[in-house]
Amino acid sequence: MSPAEFSQWVSGLDLFTSLRESALAYPVIMSLHLSSIAVFGGLILMTDLRLLGLAMPNMTVSDIIAQTRIWKRIGFVVMITCGVLLGGAKLDKYYDNPYFQLKLLFLLLVGVHAIVFHRSVYGNAAELDRAPAIPAIAKTAACLSLVLWISILSFGRWIAYYERPGERGAPVTSAQPVNRVSPAQ
Amino acid sequence: MLLAYDPATNPLNTTEWAFPFFECIHIASFAMSVGTIALVDLRLLGLGIRHQTAAQLVKDTMLWTLAGLIIVITSGLVIFTSDPLRYYYNPSFRFKVICLLIAIVYNYTIHRKVAMSKAPPFANILVGGISLLLWVSIVFAGLFYAFT
Repeated sequence: MSPAEFSQWVSGLDLFTSLRESALAYPVIMSLHLSSIAVFGGLILMTDLRLLGLAMPNMTVSDIIAQTRIWKRIGFVVMITCGVLLGGAKLDKYYDNPYFQLKLLFLLLVGVHAIVFHRSVYGNAAELDRAPAIPAIAKTAACLSLVLWISILSFGRWIAYYERPGERGAPVTSAQPVNRVSPAQ
Repeated sequence: MLLAYDPATNPLNTTEWAFPFFECIHIASFAMSVGTIALVDLRLLGLGIRHQTAAQLVKDTMLWTLAGLIIVITSGLVIFTSDPLRYYYNPSFRFKVICLLIAIVYNYTIHRKVAMSKAPPFANILVGGISLLLWVSIVFAGLFYAFT
């Protein structure tokens, strides 16, 4: 089975077909995807800024990591679930989209980041609280996290603007962002 | 003046990367503004955050919320210029603007006042819940614009 056939099979599944064709479910899931970015992406951002020593001075590192952890986990699950639904419904269009592929790669790197920095930073918050200054390794973890998530967000947005070579000018469907000036204006 | 403006001449519509670029800035900055407000809301709702008071969280996030709001509104206005009439006549967009105005006023009056004081639990829950609901509605309305 080639990647093209596989993605056509996935997006042809009943669940994904009805999702793609639903005028309500598709935008609702996309909105949930974005809402989880708003709430939980914001928490990741504030954690990174705290590790960099730029924000949240009234919260210790262990406070912000421990108290936002559950929300980041819930948010991550919502975000990924919605993402799988959105991606699956159009996998036949997306599988060879370079921004889609980069997004998946960077999501994998988020997992690598979590494993690499668990012992020294995220699972070691009490030690960071006692340190006189935030160690360089924690700042490195925060910077990389910011770069990873901002890249993922940007690749995600750019997925919608990619056109397969030869398919330029394909009719714009309602599910694509509308930013082209309509000729009738 | 307005009638003389032709969106087709707008760099947003003639440069391939410009529109998605401003969208990315818009999304990142609403994560910053809504995320910092949500942190206070989660405290008000008594969910997860306990070591800090809502007042401390407001003080810690205030500047970031404001910076996020300024960037999100500025990038939003830039995006708006890509097709002003279409936005203006779109019901989702109108709903979004109304919710946004209410949310901003609410955030700097009732929300701020309750978070900074020792309000009874039910008041905290109500105020935090309404805040989350308002901001999430704005995100929904912004997205639904593209589908209506």
